[in-house]
Amino acid sequence: MSGGISDMTIVLRSLRTRALATSVATALVAIAVALLLVLLSLREAASQAFRRGTGNIHLLVSADASPLVAVLNGLFYANAPANPIAWAKFKEIEGSFPWQWCIPTQLGDSFRGQPVMATTAEFFTDFEPVSGVPFQFSDGRAFEGAFEVVVGSSVARDFALQVGQQIVFTHGSGGSREGGHEHADHPYEVVGVLQPTGSAHDRALFTNLVSTWVIHAEEKRAHEPKTAQSDASAPKPDASVSSTSTTVSEAGHDPGHDHGHDHVHVDEADLRDDEKLITGILLRIPTRSGSDASASIAAQFDRLRRDVSITVAQPAQQIGRLMALIGDIDWLFVAMAVVVLFSSAASIMLAMVSSMELRRRQVAILRVLGASAWRVFALAITESTLIGLGGAGIGAALAIVGGQIATTLLQERVGLVIAGAVDTRAAILVAAGAVVLAAIAGIVPAVKAYRTSIARHLKPLA
Amino acid sequence: MQSVESHTGVSIRGLRFRYDRGFALEVARLDVAAGEQVLFAGPSGCGKSTLLHLLSGIETPEAGSILIGSTNICSLQGSTRDIFRGRHIGMVFQTFQLLQGFSALENVLMSLMLGAPRLDRPRVRAEAALERLGMRDLHARVERLSVGQQQRVAVARAVVTEPSLVLADEPTASLDPANAEAAVELIRTAARSAGAALIVTSHDPALRSVFPRTVDVAQFGAAAAPAGGGRT
Repeated sequence: MSGGISDMTIVLRSLRTRALATSVATALVAIAVALLLVLLSLREAASQAFRRGTGNIHLLVSADASPLVAVLNGLFYANAPANPIAWAKFKEIEGSFPWQWCIPTQLGDSFRGQPVMATTAEFFTDFEPVSGVPFQFSDGRAFEGAFEVVVGSSVARDFALQVGQQIVFTHGSGGSREGGHEHADHPYEVVGVLQPTGSAHDRALFTNLVSTWVIHAEEKRAHEPKTAQSDASAPKPDASVSSTSTTVSEAGHDPGHDHGHDHVHVDEADLRDDEKLITGILLRIPTRSGSDASASIAAQFDRLRRDVSITVAQPAQQIGRLMALIGDIDWLFVAMAVVVLFSSAASIMLAMVSSMELRRRQVAILRVLGASAWRVFALAITESTLIGLGGAGIGAALAIVGGQIATTLLQERVGLVIAGAVDTRAAILVAAGAVVLAAIAGIVPAVKAYRTSIARHLKPLA
Repeated sequence: MQSVESHTGVSIRGLRFRYDRGFALEVARLDVAAGEQVLFAGPSGCGKSTLLHLLSGIETPEAGSILIGSTNICSLQGSTRDIFRGRHIGMVFQTFQLLQGFSALENVLMSLMLGAPRLDRPRVRAEAALERLGMRDLHARVERLSVGQQQRVAVARAVVTEPSLVLADEPTASLDPANAEAAVELIRTAARSAGAALIVTSHDPALRSVFPRTVDVAQFGAAAAPAGGGRT
């Protein structure tokens, strides 16, 4: 017992005496640690959000230009696919293998800039937006009849949509009012609101594929000259011509056309095959329970790929590639944060060395009083380590708060849900790294303290 | 005159110390008895401070031995020497060399913590040492104290560890004659009640009459010191 004074008293007093330098050095360490943690957690979280966003799908078929585009469009709603897949192709693929499930999707319409996916009811029962976590309704139910819509959680929140509301879609994606026209004749009723899934599906709306076909068919037929319509009702339509004229994209659509056309009524039974357009097929191969892998995945992938009219993607693989691409870039940011950490350690050293002349006198006094050279060495190391500890603690706290803000923003703006903002293991590693660096930064001043000549620094100041 | 409460004395044999510029200090034989009070006199630069630094183990001689009691401080290495100094030697400096930013009490406690960690109830000892020397405000930071109060703190710090030897380096150099006399009396009384031998250096001839024994340090100078090249 030393009765209320200890080596730590000396260290803390020394830090307090140089409060400004101490605060600046601590702040620099804190910023570096926070930056590193946030960057590390964001890159991990972003990649996880992408990975989990592919759900329990094994294969994705589309007519997009590349598999990556197919995945980004079909599962992450980056853009509406430009090219449709003919209904006949869907039937062919559906019957070519005993899939666990085979779900057609069609993208193209939008609601105030949010994508509308037309699909079948199996999308809610069989497809899981996050593997192992099926869709759940926070209100209402899945669509059953025509002109019913289920809305994702972010859409419901952002546009204050509730079950029972009537909404109108825009033909074509994107928010530009000129780009598409509204299907004003066909308001949809909101029948269900989904719970947040942490996937891009939170930003989408879901309708019955058949009712979408009906709207497009009615509008198309209303615009067609009578002769063309009678031609089109012929039993064998030219698939290539019709598919370009009814493309789900905006291409070829005249935005300035007259909306006051006569109403044409079309029933499901009346739909021609060329009007049954889809843009994607979600496929899952049967697996043993508890497993997500099957040897058939690769086999079916290879088989479907031989068909040059379609693009086949293994979403998990594509996302892996995307992450590898992004990974090279975001490591640069991490490297920058590491540089900041090193420069903060340098600032600790600078702060301590610059005050060295003052502390040499103190060191000499401590030595006279009986402190060994090693003891004053340890005091200096302890001092820099404490700055590192303080900075690491504050930085970790900043990262947790900053991570939560970033998480919220990402979820709201991009629809990426990130659980557990800061990885504990990464936090401990980074904090420990900061403390070790700070301790190392203390070595130079500590050696100077160790080597301080007692006799010279006890001389009265001139 | 000499209270012999301690049996520890100082004995120097064949001591040689050389400065960089050719000036040397040679002490063939010098003894200070336990509890004895001695003035090391001489002009500035004659080697008084150096001799004190050698006695305290701050400087190491080229040759010779300095026994503090039965321990040759010159032969102690590294931290052993620091610990020995903290335990057995108390030092008072001309400019006091108190730890800035710490209170009077903390300065004295620091001495106990570093020099005599085995002494019990350090706080009681520190407070007693300061109060005995007439200090009242023990919690004021030392830089806010008057010169006289700082001197008391410096003396308390030197004697609180119950050293066998107290070394005071020019303790009166920055004081006027009246205060100088009081300061020397303070140190002498404190050393006596601690049972420690006392060596005071001074270039002030007036102190010769105060001390029962005076050693002229100039006699130990072995070569001419270059002008201003020696130590105070």
